[in-house]
Formats: sequence, structure tokens, C-alpha cells
Amino acid sequence: MRLILSLDADVFHAAWTSIHVSAWSILFASLLGIPLGLAAGMSEFAFKRMVLTILNTLIAVPTVLVGLLVYGFLSRQGPLGHFGLLFTPDAMVIGGTILITPIVANYSLNSAKGADRRILATALTLGAGRLRSTMKFVSEIRFGILAAVIAGFGRVISEVGVAMMLGGNIRGYTRTMTTAIALETSKGEFAFGVALGILLMTVALLTNIFLTLFQQR
Amino acid sequence: MTPLYTLSSVTKRYNGSVALDIPALAIFEGTTYLLAGPNGSGKSTLLNILAFLAAPSSGTIEYAGREVDGKQSTLGRLRNEVTLLHQSPYLFDETVFANIAFGLRIRGIKGPPQRQRVEDSLAMVGLSGFGPRKAKALSGGESQRVALARALALSPRVLLLDEPFGNVDKETAGMLHGVIASLPGKGTTVVMATHDTSPQTLLKSQVIGLAEGKLTGETVRRKDREGRIGGRSGHAHF
Repeated sequence: MRLILSLDADVFHAAWTSIHVSAWSILFASLLGIPLGLAAGMSEFAFKRMVLTILNTLIAVPTVLVGLLVYGFLSRQGPLGHFGLLFTPDAMVIGGTILITPIVANYSLNSAKGADRRILATALTLGAGRLRSTMKFVSEIRFGILAAVIAGFGRVISEVGVAMMLGGNIRGYTRTMTTAIALETSKGEFAFGVALGILLMTVALLTNIFLTLFQQR
Repeated sequence: MTPLYTLSSVTKRYNGSVALDIPALAIFEGTTYLLAGPNGSGKSTLLNILAFLAAPSSGTIEYAGREVDGKQSTLGRLRNEVTLLHQSPYLFDETVFANIAFGLRIRGIKGPPQRQRVEDSLAMVGLSGFGPRKAKALSGGESQRVALARALALSPRVLLLDEPFGNVDKETAGMLHGVIASLPGKGTTVVMATHDTSPQTLLKSQVIGLAEGKLTGETVRRKDREGRIGGRSGHAHF
């Protein structure tokens, strides 16, 4: 507790970077993954089983592999190298988004698939159009959607591979709590690493409480 | 008199098997129809087609003198006139008031008129004061009544009911009977799938018999106000 309370500006910057990068990543992943998951969950189409299998596989992709692939695109010799994004928080957001979009999509898909079939029919027979019925459907499965967002956020805030490979662990710029923990532990500062871990868990807990309260409104 | 619905050679197939096959059927405005038949006879399929929630696999449907095309804009407009109450109605995860106000909001009815219609419809089903309650916390019978109130609040031209007395006690069923029986007097056409063939239900109703997706010879007209049962099928409606 003493270690946490005495944390300096660098540590709080790392905490802020973690939250900042995770928040943007979950925002973009939600914008991509929720509609994708809902569309796949609410409709029947050819190769649906194959899409589900691919999504399930992508959930298990190692973070370093995502980091490696994005690194290849963003490095100076890569196709997007001229944007100069490598070792910036933006690169970490890109990697984080790619990492968690399958998670958000999969959770959303399962929520849509498991939802009561009567929701849409009820909204339609009460006079709602397609868009309004879909919005009502989403509103009715909001717990599942929130679970998708929480799961995605939890994954991105706790990962190391993408943050390390695409952010570079630059002090005061791209260092996150997880990369700081890895660094401190490698330096033999085990207790300090644990203190950072507790701080990371606290941030994750507070975020989840905030999201849950937001959902209950 | 022009029928409200005219079905011609309507079929509905699921995975190749025929669920409904109706050569001709006419439904007139302001009348109560009973859809009678065993489970799996096509009652719910027919109700879904009449509610414009499912398109027939073949055949044509005319509604109010116009052939129904499959355009979303047409179906959306027609669904504003026709409401289906499902056998196990789904109530949205919000208050009773919000559930009933949902369809009213879509029709642009807001503010005091909306509140009045919600309260009136709740009173009709004997649930005055239930507005603030959470819909998911209601009993089965109360849910059924709220769902009926939600449909009644819209003053639909056609009310389709799928086994409305299936999940309610005798007392509630009697009350719902009374409410539903009063609708044709207000110009509402009622088509009700039910196993209940009590005299109270049959009174003043046309019967559409279904078995294995086809109209049956049970299709009879129950006509007069004294409860006398009229002749066999083949009446002008078929």
C-alpha cells in the first residue's frame, strides 16, 4: 500500500497511458465488433459456421503475434511506415483494436444468438421498422453487449505483447502499467511490480464498476 | 361488402414441407374469427402471415382491397394497423408503462395523450396502477394482460391473438373474454387462435378450422346473438 501511495509521476503516466490506449481501443473495437457480431448473430448465411470458427480462433491469437503483424505494417519499411506511427500510443491503439475486436464480436454474436426470438417479432408487430426493431433488440441484450465491452477492455488493459512491440515501452510516453510491471520485475524490483499490478487491478475494477453503473441507468 | 383480407392460393413452406395451404379465404372487417385446430395445424403460421410478419411462399394477399407487396415500407405501414399478440408474449425489460408506450411513441403519440391511452388500456385489462412496475417482475397472467393492454392501446384495425387464454387462470380468462368480445363493436377485427371452444368463445364468431395446414370442414359460421350455432362451411367467406 505504501508503494502504491508513493508512486511517482512516471507511474501515474503509465496508468494514464494504459487507460487512454485501452479506452480508444475498446471504442474502435466496439464500433467494429458489436455490429459485426449482431449481424452474424441475427441472421443466417452461408459459411456462418466457418465465420464462428474463425472468430473463436482469433480470440486465442497471441498478443505478440498481433504486435508482430502490425509492427510489419507500421515499421519504416512497411506499407504504412510513412505515417510514422510505430512506437506511439496510436500504434498501440491500432494493435489493441485488432486484438480485441474478435472478442467483442464474439460476445455480441453469442448474445444475439441466445436472445429471445420474440423480441424482433414483438417490436415489428407493434409497428417498429427494421432499424427501430434492431435498436430495441440491442437494448434488450444490453447485458450481453456490456459483457462484450468489459471482456474486451479487460483483455486490452492487461496485455503486454502489443504494448511492448508497438509502443516500445518509452518512459513517459508509451509505457503502460503492464510494460512497467515487466520492466520492474526484470530489474529485480518484484515488490514494485506487485504494487503496479495492484494498481492495474484497481483501475480495471473501477472501470468495470463504472460500466456496470452506466448500464444500470 | 369487400373483405379486409383476401387470401388466394396462399402456401407457406418450411424446409420443403408445407405448413399452410389455403386456396381461398376472406376475412371481413369488424368480425371475430376463431382459428381452431390441433397443435401444428398452421394456426400460428396463418396468424404470422396475417400480421405481415411472415411472407407466404406462394399466393397473394389483398388487404383493404390492395395486393400486399413485400416492400418493407408497405409492410411497415400495414403493421401499424395489425397487431399480433403472441401465445407467450414478450415484454420488454422496462416498466409496464414503457412497454405500452412503445407502439404509441412509434405512432407519434406522446405526452398526456400517451399517458391517457396507457392508463385506459391498463384499466381495460384490470391492471390500473401497474404502469411503474417492472414488466419482468409480473406473473404470467399479469404479463398476458399487459401484452393485451399494449396491443389495445394502439387501437388496431385488426387484432390477432394466438392462444390468449393459454397461460392465464379462469378468472383472468373470463375478463379477457369480455375485453376481446367488446372489440368488434368498436370496429376491430379479431382473429383468435384458441383451443377454447366454450359457448362464450364461440358466440358471434366465425370459425376457421385448420388441420395439417389446410382448411377443414369445421369451418362454420356461429352467427346469432342468442348463441344459436349456424350452418356448415361453404359460407360466403370461403
